Amino acid sequence: MAEQLPPQDDPVTSKSLALPYLIATVLLLGTLLWAIYDENWGTRPWKGFQTEFKDRYETFLKSVKSRSASAEKDLMASSDYQALQADYDRISADVKPKVDEINKEVNKVNQDIGIVQTAFVDARAHVSADTYDLETTVSDKGRENKKKELDAYKAKKQFTIELPDKGKLGPLDYNELEQLYLGLKDQKARLVAQIADITKPQKDAQVKMSQYLADNMVDLSPGALDNLRKANRDWDPKIVQINVNAANLVDRCESCHMGARQPIEITPAAMMAKGKKPDAYALAFVSHPERQLLALHDPEKFGCAPCHGGNGRATSSVEKAHGNYEHWLYPLWKKENVDAGCQTCHAADRVLAAPGGPELGKTIDLGKDMFRNRGCNGCHRYEGYDKEPEDVVFFRQQMKQLESQQKDNLHQAAILTKKGDTAGDNTEANAYYQQAENLRVENSVLAGKIEQFDLQMRSALHDMKKIGPNLKDIRAKLNKNWIPVWLKKPTDFRPGTKMPNFRLDDQDIKAISAYLWQSALTDSVPKAKSGDAGHGKELLETRGCLACHSIGEGSGEQGGTFAANLSRLGEKANLDYIARWVHNPRLRLRPYCPYEKKDLGPEDYAKKGLPYVFDEDHSICPNDGHQLQYQQMTVMPILRLSESDAADVATFLMSQKKKDPADYPDAPYMDDARLKDLGRAKIRQYGCAGCHEINGFEDEGRIGTELTQEGSKPIERLDFALLTEEAKRGGPNPVLNQKVSQNIGPWYGGKYPSNAKEVGPWYDTKGFFERKLLVPNLFDYDIEGRVKVKKAEEYLRMPDPHLTDEQRNAIVTMLLGSQDPTVPADYRYQPRGTDKDIQEGWWIVKKYNCMGCHQFVPGQPTVLMGMTRYQDPDWKEQLPPKLLTEGARVDPVWLMKFLRNPALSDTDTNRNGVRPYLKVHMPTFFLSDNELRKLVRFFQALSQQPMPYIPQKDERLTAKEMEMGRSLFSSAAAPCLKCHATGDPNHDRTATAPNFLMAKERLKPGWMERWITDPQAISPGTSMPSGLFHKQGEQMVFSGPIPPAFEGYTGDHTKLLVRYMMQLTPDEQRRVAAMMGRAPAPSGAKPNPSEKKTTGKASPGALRAPKPAIPPAASGASR
Amino acid sequence: MDWRQLWEISSTPDNVPIVALLPLVVFYCWLAWKQARANDALIAQLEADPALAKTHHRKTYPWQPGWQKEIHVWPFLLRVEFLAAIIVTIILMVWSITLNAPMEEPANPNLTMNPAKAPWYFLGLQEMLVYFDPWIAGVVMPTLIIIGLMAIPYIDTNPLGSGYYTWKQRKFSISTFFFGFIVLWVSMIIIGTFIRGPGWLWFWPGQTWDHNKIVYEVNRDLPDLFGLTTQPLKGIFGLLAVGAYFVIGGLGLHTLFKRYNPKDYARMSFLQYNTMMFLMLLMVSLPLKIAIRLLFHIKYVWVTPWFNV
Repeated sequence: MAEQLPPQDDPVTSKSLALPYLIATVLLLGTLLWAIYDENWGTRPWKGFQTEFKDRYETFLKSVKSRSASAEKDLMASSDYQALQADYDRISADVKPKVDEINKEVNKVNQDIGIVQTAFVDARAHVSADTYDLETTVSDKGRENKKKELDAYKAKKQFTIELPDKGKLGPLDYNELEQLYLGLKDQKARLVAQIADITKPQKDAQVKMSQYLADNMVDLSPGALDNLRKANRDWDPKIVQINVNAANLVDRCESCHMGARQPIEITPAAMMAKGKKPDAYALAFVSHPERQLLALHDPEKFGCAPCHGGNGRATSSVEKAHGNYEHWLYPLWKKENVDAGCQTCHAADRVLAAPGGPELGKTIDLGKDMFRNRGCNGCHRYEGYDKEPEDVVFFRQQMKQLESQQKDNLHQAAILTKKGDTAGDNTEANAYYQQAENLRVENSVLAGKIEQFDLQMRSALHDMKKIGPNLKDIRAKLNKNWIPVWLKKPTDFRPGTKMPNFRLDDQDIKAISAYLWQSALTDSVPKAKSGDAGHGKELLETRGCLACHSIGEGSGEQGGTFAANLSRLGEKANLDYIARWVHNPRLRLRPYCPYEKKDLGPEDYAKKGLPYVFDEDHSICPNDGHQLQYQQMTVMPILRLSESDAADVATFLMSQKKKDPADYPDAPYMDDARLKDLGRAKIRQYGCAGCHEINGFEDEGRIGTELTQEGSKPIERLDFALLTEEAKRGGPNPVLNQKVSQNIGPWYGGKYPSNAKEVGPWYDTKGFFERKLLVPNLFDYDIEGRVKVKKAEEYLRMPDPHLTDEQRNAIVTMLLGSQDPTVPADYRYQPRGTDKDIQEGWWIVKKYNCMGCHQFVPGQPTVLMGMTRYQDPDWKEQLPPKLLTEGARVDPVWLMKFLRNPALSDTDTNRNGVRPYLKVHMPTFFLSDNELRKLVRFFQALSQQPMPYIPQKDERLTAKEMEMGRSLFSSAAAPCLKCHATGDPNHDRTATAPNFLMAKERLKPGWMERWITDPQAISPGTSMPSGLFHKQGEQMVFSGPIPPAFEGYTGDHTKLLVRYMMQLTPDEQRRVAAMMGRAPAPSGAKPNPSEKKTTGKASPGALRAPKPAIPPAASGASR
Repeated sequence: MDWRQLWEISSTPDNVPIVALLPLVVFYCWLAWKQARANDALIAQLEADPALAKTHHRKTYPWQPGWQKEIHVWPFLLRVEFLAAIIVTIILMVWSITLNAPMEEPANPNLTMNPAKAPWYFLGLQEMLVYFDPWIAGVVMPTLIIIGLMAIPYIDTNPLGSGYYTWKQRKFSISTFFFGFIVLWVSMIIIGTFIRGPGWLWFWPGQTWDHNKIVYEVNRDLPDLFGLTTQPLKGIFGLLAVGAYFVIGGLGLHTLFKRYNPKDYARMSFLQYNTMMFLMLLMVSLPLKIAIRLLFHIKYVWVTPWFNV
């Protein structure tokens, strides 16, 4: 380098750096501007949003304004408003001269005050200053001087006032001036008060007018709109945030979503930029779609993110704020999963959505239904679902422990007694005896504890239900050769079954079938006689079975999905067992003792010399004295069918088959004892005992992972296995990938989700849950469809639950919401009092599918309601009663009795206790005391009835009142007994309403009064006529011709009638019925619906609700 | 070749400095090397021509008529420095606008991230944890490094090469620096950043960082190879081995230093020389330890109940 020729000029001093400086400075300025932009707008995108919102909102408000102005004009033109206006004008005209006169006076006084004030204020300032001087002077002498000075000033007559109307006053001294001034002031105040008095009616009229406008304007009034516009115009971009310290909540969502809580409803269409399609802005600026929900969940307390997910604090970008980046655990819920937010606080609620209300909550409710009804909780623990199995184990352990403690105590006591016997002196001996005594007393305390556990055990055993049938009974129930065929793929036999498809190979199937067959009980059931299938079919269709069960396949399927589809039952079961089951599904072959863990047989009872009887009253194990499981763990109720009816139903069901049961290939391996061990292992591996009762598996725990807080599991804890990278990056959807689907086998053929072949990244909880529920063993494979290398029993066990897209999404939503909430615990919905009763009640209502038959809340559909049969007007009346105001209607004590025994009779059980005329029978659910109590409280709470209910004392009717009541009761205009049952079988055949004799015990008088006044308001569509009574002044009077006995009666007719009904005796009823001469009238009477076609006599019109004999208006006019 | 993985690692805001470091280190080494070579040539020229040495002040270019012998700091140095300051400001501003501090999810004590990595400038230290006890790698070694850096001015007795780039006059210092900084420090940072994936496992560039990766590796202690499994023996063996390294290595280093750096050797006091030797041996031990760990799966050389080396 030294060889280079040096430049002539010294480069260090001569080279100009101007150009580099220029470039660097320009760049620096550029970055400075960039930094300013970034600081103000780049990292604060909400500013842009707010500007955009302002513009669009302004445009929108302008358009609304013209609309509301015209609406206001229309309103003002209305006659009501005109009347108000006239009132106002009249009053104004009255008032005006008086007001004008007073105003004149006020003006005069004002003038005077002005003049006096000038002089007085000046003098007062002088006096005040002097007084201050006087107060702050230290020396006594000085004070005296000052006082003299001040008094002299006050006494001096020095003020001369000239008033225009009063002329010259004065000279006045200070006190006189003050009097004058205050006098004028008083005068003015009096005058102003007078004006207020005089104009009060005018102002009231004006208020009425504006109130009328406010009440009748749909939108905001033009004035309110003006205020909104002004507020909008004056808006300076700023962060809008909800800050709740207690919940550590800072939600700035409304910095962009500014329309969310505007007082006016904003739709996307309203916020469109002119002439453009609704863009992202328009969608972001809308009002919150669920105002009612917002009213319940005040955003100032709950914020936004606790319900919606997302990162409420973030303001730097949409992605960050919505939590759609890898470091935020709870991204904004997708639209289809928005209900997940409800679950975070409402996990303890079984039913959330108001039926017939907004869509919100329906998804999560469906998810909970699916979770329970498909038996997910058989394998997966979830707080709140079926904790009885765990309770049973816990109670047993506790009892065992207490019993061993008792034994110990006795042993110890014996030792102590012995020690006492050999003690040296009396004191010592007594001390030993005392200790032994104490131990024996303690044992009696322990015995009390054990008894308590036994009681709880009884309740738990009673409430414990399994989602699948009892497999101990399969030898008595099933076609042996059908079992392996079913296990192969349940959906092939019965497409909608609850049983999921396990991916069992032939060896597994053989082993499991063999174990089940060989471990099943060998007891036989009594032979049933084949009955009348036609009658059986009719019973099945009308008794109410189809509220839970369905029958028919494909498009012909009808009935509920709560329980099994019964088509093809004839291929799998046998008549004897089904007949027995239909007659009483709770009947076990053998009782099970959870204490000994053993099925008891007659031999156990014989040993103790006891009869082999086990039921509610004989639930004690003869061996150890503890509670037995004496009933089948099914929710299926007892339909109270006679044995021959049950046989008819069974005969019909057995005729339901597609192929002959004998055509099933023989399965001799099921008797192969060598397969039993493998079968046991497989049953344990697949967790069959989660849903079924299986011999040897009664205490089997759940095999799946707990899901109570699955949604807040860190993503790293979800095993994406070999698909982790695929999930993170997106790409070919593994579920749709040809290679994968080929290898995953025949289980999921053609049942792929409708989403694209190429998917974006799905490395999140939603992506995992969705795929797991779609192809539960997907994570055993890599993207090429190669299976993971592991032992056979280590492959993922979860079976295919064969869900529809909607059902899957519902469960995914539930799981997403299953979180450890970020809000404090007291934000969760943990109600007390009646709300808690409602919360608990829904669990039972759902457990037994009460909603299959009954309506609990307005708008809620029932299964029966939707069936074709009940669309027929004749059959509509055959629907089970609506329970909309059940709590207000019935006495809780009676309700408890009814729920215990809906027949309300111990002898005549094949009937409905309340509504004998219904073909559908309320079955006996055989509820435990615990569940009964909860249900009764639920009904009371649902109707806002206080518990406990104390019936009012009812005054006995006088003879006169009795006669009046009777005349009303039997009035031709309202012949009560025409429809209401009387207990006379001849009459009751055509009755369509309950017997009055029950009212005393059953009904609450207040409800009865409301009911007879306006039944349509309580149960829309009821056949009970409306308008029987109307109001006349303060009195409720009968709308029909008033019986002469009522002459001069001033009480409510309704009250009297209710009292009469409450005091009705069978005798009285018979007498009235006889008086009315009611024999079963063949023409106008309501025939049995099923006989309708054969008799062909009843016209639908005759079956309609009898119209009130005379419409209220007409009756009013006639008097 | 998993390009996406590579891109993911190098585009993380945290890793941008280390990505920039790669070309910058090369560039500045080259620049320094170029200037050192020019100076070395000039030094040779001046040594050969004493007349020129008298008139020559500015280093690489021989003095020209019309040039000032000395020039002022203001404006000639400061104007260049100010330009540099502006450019650095621009870079910092652009950097701070475009790359935000990587905020991650709220801390969860129940869940540690994998791999859990230190800031990039500490990744060399973190990598050392693979080879030494936490106490040694985290406390002793950093302390010694700092003490060593502080000791340099007192050890360095070479008066030449101050204020200009040169290779010939400072061969030992420069090669030591290259070894210690580039080979050890920078390359360990690069390993920590680009090579260590989930589970702190070794992933070559372009390999997918698979969380499910499982490797089979058995690391033994050196005494185990010699069948020593009981404690006092293991400790004594380790002490001997480490001692032997210091003695044999020290002797070897001494021979080399005396042969190639006789002038420095002559100038150094006994204390200076021994301090330097100790620090040198320590520094060399690090790559040796890395090598026997990675190549021969030897975990520790010296195993005692209190510490392991």
